[in-house]
Amino acid sequence: MATPLQLGFQDAASPVMEELVHFHDHALMVVYLISSFVLYIIITLVMMKLTNKHAHDSQEIEIVWTVLPAIILIVVALPSLRILYLMDEINNPHLTVKAIGHQWYWSYEYTDYKDLSFDSYMTPTQDLTPGQFRLLEVDHRMVVPTESPIRVLITADDVIHSWTVPSMGVKMDAVPGRLNQTTFIPSRPGVYYGQCSEICGANHSFMPIVIEAVPLKHFEDWSTSMLEFT
Amino acid sequence: MAMVSLIRRQMKNHPALIPLFIFIGGGATMSALYLARLALRNPDVSWDRKNNPEPWNKLGPTDQYKFFAVNTDYSKLKKNEPRTSTETCPSLSWQLDVEGRWTLPSGM
Repeated sequence: MATPLQLGFQDAASPVMEELVHFHDHALMVVYLISSFVLYIIITLVMMKLTNKHAHDSQEIEIVWTVLPAIILIVVALPSLRILYLMDEINNPHLTVKAIGHQWYWSYEYTDYKDLSFDSYMTPTQDLTPGQFRLLEVDHRMVVPTESPIRVLITADDVIHSWTVPSMGVKMDAVPGRLNQTTFIPSRPGVYYGQCSEICGANHSFMPIVIEAVPLKHFEDWSTSMLEFT
Repeated sequence: MAMVSLIRRQMKNHPALIPLFIFIGGGATMSALYLARLALRNPDVSWDRKNNPEPWNKLGPTDQYKFFAVNTDYSKLKKNEPRTSTETCPSLSWQLDVEGRWTLPSGM
């Protein structure tokens, strides 16, 4: 989950997010280099005593400041395109979950083996127990097994919502009348939070998403207990 | 034609323009080639409404439709088969019965 005064990404919980974090480090380093170089040039220009009133053009410097930015752009674009294609690859999901956005809650359906579906409402602030996170906790979490590719089919019942879990590197719009698909692999057990990312009315900020990734044995115990419950 | 002689004259006076033409020309060529690839090879595009109205229905399991494959070995992919073993969908408790239906062993 996000923490106060946080500057960077949340810790990665899936291989795709790890790749995105590494790419961000790479691109940010390029940005730092260019910015510090420009800052140095500006300061030098301002503090320097030499002036040359007769410089008109220079072929050499023109070649340098054409070729160098082109190379920098290629160095940024190639890893970026690689991750773009990586995110779209087929990975044989072990489980399919349907996430449906409503005003103002999510509902999840696990229909691979039996009909299991439930609604996921935000826990109101006055009902939180100590240690729980305000505006992020829900009454029923979406439980998934770790280290298994999970396919999520996302749609909405009324207006456009968006299903997001930043630590998994997942965001997909929930559009009524349309079925969007995304996949992710939870690398480690844990609880991962996200919030609806498309303005959808009065309680848009109050319909969070919580994924609880557990080992397969615990996932099967949970799904069995939920079947008895629903 | 006047453009070509103008460009040639400019290049002689300002050779620094040559890398510019190379990168801009290269970028434009790559974009045009990718657009042509999308138009001709993308299964979402239908050119012949009479003979091939829905090319997206003819997708094969080993065909590569995306431009670049990072991790997937397309020669190893198989068409979606009915689940016949737990290798395709690992589960500790759900088992396939004689008729091929997923059930929990008795007692669970």
